[in-house]
Amino acid sequence: MLRIGLDIAAVVIGVALAIVGLLALRRRRAEAAASGPDLESMAAIATAFGGSDDAATIARELLVRVEPLVGVELSLLYVVDNERHLASGLLGRDQGKELEWFRSITVDLDAEPSGVSTAVFEAAPFAVDDVRASTIVSARLTQATGARSAAFVPLLADERVIGVLVVGTTSRLRAFSGEELALLRTVAGEAALALDRIRSTAALRDALDRERFVARLSARVHSELDVDELLRVAVEETGTALGVDRCFIRLGDTEDSIPIAAQWHADGLDGIESGKRLAASNLAVRRRATVAIEDVERAAELVEVGGAQTLLELGSRAMLAVPILVFDELIGTLTLHRTEPHEWSAEEVGLTETVAREIGLAIHVARLLRDNERRIGQQAAFFRIAAMLGQSLSLAETLDALGQAATDAFGGDAAAVLMPRGSDLELAASVQLPDGLARALAPALPPSAESLASAAADERILVSPAVVRDDRFEPPWQSLLQEEGLSALLAVPVASLRARRSGLVLVFFAAERMFSDEELEVARHLSDAARGALERSELFEAERTARALSQQLARTGSVLATELDPAAVLDEVVQQAPALLAAEACAVLTLEDDELVVSAASGQGTADSVGVRVSANGSLSGDVFQSRAPVAVDDAVALPQLAGSDQLLAAGYAAYLGVPLSGPEGAPAGVLAVYARRPRAWRAEEIEALQALAGNTSAALANAELYSRVSLEKERSVAILANIADGIVAVDREGRVVLWNAAAEQITGVPQAEAVGHTTTDVLRRNLESGDDEAPAGQRLVSILRGGEEVWLSLSEAVMRDPLGAVAGRIFAFRDISGDRMVEQVKSDFVAAVSHELRTPLTSIYGFAETLLRQDIPFGEEERQTFLGYIASESERLTEIVDQLLNVARLDAGDLQVERGRIDVGSVVSEVVETADVGNGHRFEIDLPDEPLAAEADPDKVRQVFNILVENALRYSPRGGTVTVGARRNADRVEVRVVDEGMGIPAAEREWIFRKFYRAESAARDGAAGTGLGLFIAKELVNAMGGRIWVDSTEGEGSSFAFELPVARD
Amino acid sequence: MTKVLVIDDEAPIRLLCRVNLEAEQMDVIEAADGPSGVVKAQDERPDVILLDVMMPGLDGWHVAEQLLDDDRTSGIPIIFLTARAEFRDRARGLDIGGVDYITKPFNPLELAPLVQRLLDRIDKGERDELRAEKLSELRTLMESE
Repeated sequence: MLRIGLDIAAVVIGVALAIVGLLALRRRRAEAAASGPDLESMAAIATAFGGSDDAATIARELLVRVEPLVGVELSLLYVVDNERHLASGLLGRDQGKELEWFRSITVDLDAEPSGVSTAVFEAAPFAVDDVRASTIVSARLTQATGARSAAFVPLLADERVIGVLVVGTTSRLRAFSGEELALLRTVAGEAALALDRIRSTAALRDALDRERFVARLSARVHSELDVDELLRVAVEETGTALGVDRCFIRLGDTEDSIPIAAQWHADGLDGIESGKRLAASNLAVRRRATVAIEDVERAAELVEVGGAQTLLELGSRAMLAVPILVFDELIGTLTLHRTEPHEWSAEEVGLTETVAREIGLAIHVARLLRDNERRIGQQAAFFRIAAMLGQSLSLAETLDALGQAATDAFGGDAAAVLMPRGSDLELAASVQLPDGLARALAPALPPSAESLASAAADERILVSPAVVRDDRFEPPWQSLLQEEGLSALLAVPVASLRARRSGLVLVFFAAERMFSDEELEVARHLSDAARGALERSELFEAERTARALSQQLARTGSVLATELDPAAVLDEVVQQAPALLAAEACAVLTLEDDELVVSAASGQGTADSVGVRVSANGSLSGDVFQSRAPVAVDDAVALPQLAGSDQLLAAGYAAYLGVPLSGPEGAPAGVLAVYARRPRAWRAEEIEALQALAGNTSAALANAELYSRVSLEKERSVAILANIADGIVAVDREGRVVLWNAAAEQITGVPQAEAVGHTTTDVLRRNLESGDDEAPAGQRLVSILRGGEEVWLSLSEAVMRDPLGAVAGRIFAFRDISGDRMVEQVKSDFVAAVSHELRTPLTSIYGFAETLLRQDIPFGEEERQTFLGYIASESERLTEIVDQLLNVARLDAGDLQVERGRIDVGSVVSEVVETADVGNGHRFEIDLPDEPLAAEADPDKVRQVFNILVENALRYSPRGGTVTVGARRNADRVEVRVVDEGMGIPAAEREWIFRKFYRAESAARDGAAGTGLGLFIAKELVNAMGGRIWVDSTEGEGSSFAFELPVARD
Repeated sequence: MTKVLVIDDEAPIRLLCRVNLEAEQMDVIEAADGPSGVVKAQDERPDVILLDVMMPGLDGWHVAEQLLDDDRTSGIPIIFLTARAEFRDRARGLDIGGVDYITKPFNPLELAPLVQRLLDRIDKGERDELRAEKLSELRTLMESE
């Protein structure tokens, strides 16, 4: 676009100027009455120039048109190089033919006097009428052209002479008029404009091309971060663009040994070997300035530096060397070679310098970027290290991450993490470690790599760019790495605060390599990061170990807690302890007769040690026993003074941890010891765990022994309980029966199987607890039902308490006192009843006697008779009671006299009913058969029995109630019955009422009088007569007493 | 005139009381069982009640409870007549609310003065003190046994 724009502008300007010129000419012509054809040819010339765009065409057009215009046969056109003060032949014509030789004509404007230089100098046309006579015109021209008369016309553009037009005759002398010179000047002006336009356009095009090239190059080199690629692009582009045969860049700041960083050459040429002495670029370096050599063979400046021969051998004749500077720092050269001598134009030089500047900047940028990249890489390595080490928690993971981070950070091919164990460094983690190397490192660092161990010990970084040539290593290590294809190594110490010694991370590299400061920085960082990560993971491990240990301990504890055989406890412990601490063997030593005896052991080679006796003073376990404190040995091999102090260490175990075992009351009882095959550090939490296990063991042993004792006790107790006469029942805190002895079964009628697990309330429908836990009553009377039968228990209760004082259970002891209780109660009731029965008549007798004795009251005869009558009847009543008591006494003594005979039961019944006291409105109903009821019995006794039943019926019947009496024949028996409408007798009492002294509870409660002897006497009398007596009763409705007697035999 | 209600199922004892109390110018009403005694007490409002303990049907203790529960009769002092020898029984009467007890057999000549003395003291508002004295007397007897 730009170019087209400029071209159009130039054409427009040219045309405009031509028109201006023509107008001026026309004006002059009008003044001078110039001819019409001149004007026409001028316009044609202007048109022809305007349509042309190359200098040769314009030149040809100019010369062809000028010749007829002024009538000459010779015409020459020079172009002027103002910078170099040279004029060169562009086109020459003679007799209508172009002069080939003229093109190579050059005129030095400063050195050679000539018409051309005069025209340039004067910047105005002039004519030489006789060339041969002139001193102005150079002889060279005259000879070459044979000119006779000539006119020299400068081509002016922007007040600069850009060319010279020479016209002349060769056949004759002539003069050029002022008119003709003016015409020539005008035509030359037109041509100058056209030529200048073309030249500007070309310059513009070149500049644009150059700009474009530079821009393209600049874009490529600036977008290229890889310096090598950048240089490659630069030499290729530059070489191609400038059409040279070689283009190369050397980088470095010393003269001779600057290596070639990139080179390009045309097809058919060979590359320059590195190390060649390249004089021109060396000179450019020395001068810090551009060196342009047109021809090596003639270059004087190369003599001082030498090396021209080398250039010639390369086939180079011309060269241009430009220093590459970055902020005044010389970093190399950009050099161009040509196989032919070549005069380097200002454009070429300028372009090359521009390219060199661009390359310098690009290299600088690339270097900055590379540094940045390296720093970023370093940072990234830091971050990666931090990230990798930050993620892992467990020690194993952390060590793996450490190896991985180291491999990543340094681009290593393999890595090994060595951590201290005992006095050695042990392979703890690896990354792509060849098997052979892993095998060599596994047990410990080989002696041939002793320097690595020292590096670890000193906590310093060790780098070996080439292990094979590194005399810090001995041949075995060197050849080991060589065999595994590893050439360089980096060793970084890693340690945590806890560890007494430092470990190492080894990074191996397949290729030999240097280590930069940045990498050493990364290595230091890795070391620091590893310290943090190891500390963290050790904390984590400690916590995890502690947790695992406590879980394991809890499991072991629960196993031990359920173990009831002391020997089994020890066996369990020696199995569990090595598992707990990841150890390989265990022994329990117990004290026997001032010596420690191995009571149980586990682990390889320990079988023979069981039963071995060791001194309680002079052995390792003896120390534990005496000091009552743990003893830990990390590496017995390293402690020769321990030799012979322990039988298992002697058998090949390397590490020992022993803790004391306590007996009852905390007295020392033995030692629990674990062993490891290889040296190891016992962690504090491991020691604590073993102590805890020892505590568990002591407790389990105590438990087991206690259990043995308790189970013996229990057997004894069970035997006692089974044989005891008292019922013994134990309940737990929830009141459920846990013990129910044989006597309890017997007394309650409930078998043990039905009682155990249930509460006494469930089992007996009676809560045995007193409800007063603080002071349960000593002996209590409690009634329960055995089947339907009421059973009275004398119960004592003991409350068992747990150590905190809460009720843990109860024990009830009881015996069946149903019999005892009844007798007691009955006796007491009897005393009360007899007291009442005796006192009532006595009150009347005593009272009336005292009353009669009163002097202050004059009693009438009737009153006296009444009083005395009462005294008499009540005395009789008293006698009856006494008789009754005597009867009982006689029945008890067994000397009851029964005089059996034939009697009529019916008449006895009638007789008793007639004499009965019915003062309370009672009514009798009598149910007797018409015929006599003859029975074999004692009539007095039958009357007595019947009387008792009737009195009872009256006594226990409500006022106005009906008493039904009757007798009947029932097979070979005579049955007598008395039925009342009283309160009835509960089933439980029906058996008791015929016993001595017993009175129905309800009767006693309601205050009814009676001695409680009647039914007893009745029963005894009926029995004595060979009969029987019983009662049927419905509570609340009444009772029916009946007795039967044998029928009298006919 | 002092009105005395005698509740006892034994006719001779009722007569004994009547003769000896009337001799001291007291008015005597009789009841032969618990329920009729309660009715008579409500109707006649006696100044004092002599109450037998051992009666068939409703016994003396229950009679006393009914009387003391009833506003009409709760203010009437009750003297128990008891043939029961045990202290437990005597204490029970006082516990229920009786002011005194007379154990059978008793000297009928002492009956009227005892009744009079009690009434005098009750007139003076010493009913509760009376019971307290009797209880402590009983306690002393029980302890000495």
